[in-house]
Amino acid sequence: MSHLNQEELVLIYYREPGIPPSAASHLSECAQCRADFDALAETLNACLDWTPPEPPLDFGRSVWASLAPQLVEQRRPVLPMRTWFAIAAAMVLLIGAFIAGRASRPPQQPSLTAGLSPQARARIFAITMADHLDRADVLLTELENSDNKDDAAFASERERARDLVQEGRMMRQMVASRGEADMLPLLDDLERVVLEIANSPDTATPRELRELKQSIGSESLLFKVRIVESNLRSEGRKI
Amino acid sequence: MNSRVNNPIEKAQRGDREAFRFLVEQHSRAVFRLAYRMTSSQTDAEDIVQETFLRAWKQLARFDGRAAFSTWLHRICANCSLDHIRRRKGHATQIADEPFRQIPNESPSPERLALSTEINALLTPALDDLSAMERTAFIMRHYEGLPIEEISRVLGVEGNAAKHSIFRAVQKLRKALEPVRCTR
Repeated sequence: MSHLNQEELVLIYYREPGIPPSAASHLSECAQCRADFDALAETLNACLDWTPPEPPLDFGRSVWASLAPQLVEQRRPVLPMRTWFAIAAAMVLLIGAFIAGRASRPPQQPSLTAGLSPQARARIFAITMADHLDRADVLLTELENSDNKDDAAFASERERARDLVQEGRMMRQMVASRGEADMLPLLDDLERVVLEIANSPDTATPRELRELKQSIGSESLLFKVRIVESNLRSEGRKI
Repeated sequence: MNSRVNNPIEKAQRGDREAFRFLVEQHSRAVFRLAYRMTSSQTDAEDIVQETFLRAWKQLARFDGRAAFSTWLHRICANCSLDHIRRRKGHATQIADEPFRQIPNESPSPERLALSTEINALLTPALDDLSAMERTAFIMRHYEGLPIEEISRVLGVEGNAAKHSIFRAVQKLRKALEPVRCTR
């Protein structure tokens, strides 16, 4: 067997999987490879002597002290439960609208939303739609304010974007069934941008990120989202 | 785990700030150590600790418990550090930081202290000379003990790319630390 190269020696040092047993046995028998390995290990072991300064014992407390005010400004993390509530509310309205449509023809069937007054339905609609826009707002704001997104963080935003696309489609059906056609252009614009995020490649180059930000900034989408969300919340409160 | 706080991760996921405070206090020193190794700068490391916990707070709902919470947190820290190094290198500004404050191990011998100081003097600039990817991959392999496969997932690159980043880092560090070897 030929001598082990530096890369194999590094893998052996770190006990990485995939090293053939023959390499390990060669290392124990070959004086030259053993010497190379010892030299490598000596250098890498010396690196272990480099220890970072130990932060003071109350470091955690001081981190929290400066972190806490920033968390106030942060929106609470989007909990899956909220998403499920939104989807469930949208489903109730959709099914209600469907059954109400069927019920208008004889023979009449009792509607699932028979117990809900028009005001209650309008209120559910306003809150559900406002929550959807809120989630879109958080996602777009995070992306717009990012300097240079790392892959992992971007992957999680893509996942949220995919959820938002599905949720948005449900919202569009709900809007259409309620005859609120003036909201459809906003939902269309939002879906276009969110789809772009959802379909982004694994590794977003700075240029791709810039293009995404341009899409978000185009036609003041974020501004419109916030205005409509705010109006819906006010309406929801009034009803 | 502190019995006062029953499953702080789940509580924090529900938006419980006190539970998140517990997690911050519990993990911030370890996160600092990783951030410091990534940047060689106390000021930068402190900023990265803040950024790591802010990102963690925002992404907490998506923590699924498949990895340990500390591993998840260290991944976020590694990514924050990577962004930070890239920004720093991008601006081509080498921040003049406070002098390296080495806290020695308990009762080090004078020889060990001298050697440690010498290694610090050589290692710090050598690490600064590595590319962001090389440094991140090396620190995660050498000091955090993450296998290469895991490092490639954290960095979002192919396994071979992470492996070659480590090889290049080791090669450069060996060259930089050659004087220490010669004096041993």
